[in-house]
Amino acid sequence: MAEEQKRMKLLVAVDESEGSLYALRWAIDHLFGLEQAAVTLVNVQPIFQPFIYPAGPVVYATPAVIDSVKKAQEQNAAAILARALRICKEKEIKAETLILQGDAKDKICEAAEELHVDLLVIGSRGLGTIKRALLGSVSNYCVHHVNCPVLVVKPPPKLAHQ
Amino acid sequence: MDKSVMVVGIDDSDHSLYALEWTLEHFFSTAPGKSPFKLVVVHAKPSATTAVGLTGPGAAEVLPYVERDLKIIAARVMEKSKEICAAKSVKDVIVEAVEGDPRNALCDAVDKHNATVLVVGSHGYGAIKRAVLGSVSDYCAHHAHCSVLIVKKPRKTAH
Repeated sequence: MAEEQKRMKLLVAVDESEGSLYALRWAIDHLFGLEQAAVTLVNVQPIFQPFIYPAGPVVYATPAVIDSVKKAQEQNAAAILARALRICKEKEIKAETLILQGDAKDKICEAAEELHVDLLVIGSRGLGTIKRALLGSVSNYCVHHVNCPVLVVKPPPKLAHQ
Repeated sequence: MDKSVMVVGIDDSDHSLYALEWTLEHFFSTAPGKSPFKLVVVHAKPSATTAVGLTGPGAAEVLPYVERDLKIIAARVMEKSKEICAAKSVKDVIVEAVEGDPRNALCDAVDKHNATVLVVGSHGYGAIKRAVLGSVSDYCAHHAHCSVLIVKKPRKTAH
């Protein structure tokens, strides 16, 4: 009998949107043999730029402000990943979490490459939803630029209309 | 229990056959016969007129030959897909050929079979080639009414 099959490595990108949590649930429900897979949940927080004010006086944020934003982001990321982990736990899937900072689309592609994942799972539209848009900017970018297979999960028609 | 349907789009390229193999390996072979998916392999056969793109006096004579060639290619592709499925012991498979533009054909097949996933390969064209040649995987990722899995053949880069 063949030696234990190489475990499938999965990377699931999550943010605050319902779409990404639906993508996670969909992947767990439909993909096979996830109990043996290595699942990593990644959340990317944007880097806080303390001095982008397009018009008007340039304001430099004090260290206190920077710190509080950083803290808020950490809490945000932790909350998102906690929800995602809870979903995994319900279905008895072991998952690891990863918090990254920067531009979501670049960071997700980088992470997929560095971790040598077999599959990237991403929702189709996240936070910046223009209702007319068929595919969000992050998922669109990832489909084009990542080196591994990508699964884009569309929300069910009911969710899409909300 | 009703099985969910997975549609795999195939053309004559290595990339799409690789996508089919990848799908079978990761979704079906871990427990043959117990897979929750029903597999439908769709080959979108371009019609002779789109393939040739000729207008003019010579076109009518060339078309029958082109049509014949396309039929031979389509048959070969479908045979190959059946072989691949058989090699992985996947029995619950439907293989069909649809005529027309692959973009629409695949999205229609998704609607027709009420699929939960559409799997397509990707040529990995850069931005310019995509703009000129069009991208089926791109179109499907945007327009299909179900989740889309795009499988890329790993590039053999020499670093």
